[in-house]
Amino acid sequence: MKIIFFLSVLFLSTAGTATLRERHIQFDLILNKEQIELGKRYFSDKSKDSISIDAIRFYISDLELFLDEKPVYSLDKKHHLIDLEYPESLQLDCSNLPIKSYNKIKFNLGIDSTTNVSGAMGGDLDPSNGMYWAWQSGYINFKLEGISPSCPARHNRFAFHLGGYQNPFYNMQKVELLLTETKTDLPKINLDLDDFFNQINLKENHQIMSPSKQAVEITALLANAFYIQI
Amino acid sequence: MAFSRDSFVLDYPEYFPEPEYDFSKNKLSKEKVELGRALFYDPILSKDKSISCSSCHSPYNAFAHTDHDLSHGINDEIGTRNAPALFNLAWQKSFNWDGAVNHLDMQALAPITDKREMNEDLKNVISKLQDSKIYPELFYDAFKDSLITGEHILKALAQFQLTLVSAHSKYDQVKKGKLEFSEQEQKGYKLFQKNCSSCHSEPLFSNYKFANNGLPIDTTLNDFGKGMISKQRTDSMVFKIPTLRNLSYTYPYMHDGRFRKLNQVLKHYSEGISKSKNKSSNLKSNIELSSNEKVDLIAFLLTLNDKEFVFDPKHQYPREVLLSK
Ligand code: HEC
Ligand code: HEC
Repeated sequence: MKIIFFLSVLFLSTAGTATLRERHIQFDLILNKEQIELGKRYFSDKSKDSISIDAIRFYISDLELFLDEKPVYSLDKKHHLIDLEYPESLQLDCSNLPIKSYNKIKFNLGIDSTTNVSGAMGGDLDPSNGMYWAWQSGYINFKLEGISPSCPARHNRFAFHLGGYQNPFYNMQKVELLLTETKTDLPKINLDLDDFFNQINLKENHQIMSPSKQAVEITALLANAFYIQI
Repeated sequence: MAFSRDSFVLDYPEYFPEPEYDFSKNKLSKEKVELGRALFYDPILSKDKSISCSSCHSPYNAFAHTDHDLSHGINDEIGTRNAPALFNLAWQKSFNWDGAVNHLDMQALAPITDKREMNEDLKNVISKLQDSKIYPELFYDAFKDSLITGEHILKALAQFQLTLVSAHSKYDQVKKGKLEFSEQEQKGYKLFQKNCSSCHSEPLFSNYKFANNGLPIDTTLNDFGKGMISKQRTDSMVFKIPTLRNLSYTYPYMHDGRFRKLNQVLKHYSEGISKSKNKSSNLKSNIELSSNEKVDLIAFLLTLNDKEFVFDPKHQYPREVLLSK
């Protein structure tokens, strides 16, 4: 009760002046234990290599909070495009949601197949966001582009365009994050690319541009790299 | 076509099936159709403002491309194919020779972007349209929003293409009881029903499924059709079954435009069926056709030409709009 009271007072006192969303779920994108800045070089001692990220964009869909396996609430907006170029996109607006306890979060990484076959849509799903393939229908669920000296491609660039809405290359991934305790304040969700880059080998795997088995495997690695920041 | 105040009702014969296109998500209106028509004919959609949709899909060819067997101008994959005719698209479930596009709305993305990936390209188109003299107003009239979006561009283009309904051929007049087939056409019709209609089904003259019709591979192109998209061996050399309406306007024929004349097509079906493993079970071997039967069959196929559709001014270059720029 105390916590709820405190939060709502805070909310009232700053409403109207703040530009950032009052109540939101925050996504933080991490590399080398730091929040990623686009274009910055990160050195890894382990692999004696550096990585810089030029673009990281992905879709989060159907985010829901649960308390002991019962749904507590879901976000009104079904699909969110998270794009590091637009920091406000890292905050999913929850200002209309009641404050409730929860201990589990579920969401999908990517876009479901029904949405993929439903024609042109607007907002986060507008094909002008650069997350739709032109030569073959379908959303790109996750786009990750950057540079690493270990990558043997032209200009050392790697580019993963991960998507696919049809079997056997259905690409969307379910993510479930369990909390160790019940909470009421909204979560910060981290995506830690250290894990990811430790598990793939940029020498062999540096370019994916269409739905494939490999695309599914790489998206699954990314789905596994989400965790709740306590 | 029937007009009411702002809704627009697609007019088609009652012997046509229900359309596949979900009009509830993109309700037709006169303003949207006219906006789509302007976009279709406007080279502003291409990077150097040189090519419009109609460069490859000409109204006088039932919106196919007749000068070339293969269409030029876009990325490699598409440049290896013959531009298909565009009509009765509302009944089609997937698009392109290999079915790579799952919705008519999304089709325009491939030609608009000349690279493999769209990235900034559709954004560029949006800003060119936003800066133009005519488009902000046309988008406002159509969508009550002068801020142009990718969604609205694609929906307007789809609307214009949805209104391209071809249903006024001699065959249609016979169906409606207004005309009769000649004796020769009637014989050809029987041959057609026996040999061709399992794939080229009436009244659209395609079931819009995919099949391998026994064409040997052209090794200069190595186009394996649907197999290149699905990466399944059973889809190798499998292509969309095209409609047979308006054949006099849409030559050359097949995905790579390999045949220029209908008698070459019939020669293929009667002598040239390959032994490919993926061949459709509806076409196990060469179809036996005497030379008289071939003439009869072609006479029937020509009853599917729809001159009224091909010369309909409603579908042509919108002078009033585009010349006022
Ligand atoms: C450079 C030539 C070219 C231009 C320009 C072009 N197209 Fe096409 N179009 C093609 C070719 C070739 C195909 C078949 C591609 C394939 O099967 O891979 C095609 C296929 C299509 C189809 C699918 C038809 C079917 O039956 O499956 C539609 C719809 C279409 N185009 C609409 C458009 C629109 C709308 C534009 C303008 C935004 C446009 N095209 C511009 C060459 C072109
Ligand atoms: C097994 C299904 C099947 C049967 C049966 C069949 N076709 Fe086809 N037809 C196709 C397919 C698939 C294509 C496109 C092939 C390609 O381009 O690779 C096609 C293409 C054509 C074309 C070219 C159309 C265009 O616009 O390019 C013509 C004409 C044609 N068929 C006529 C016939 C006739 C006449 C018969 C009967 C004698 C017949 N077909 C029987 C599947 C079939």
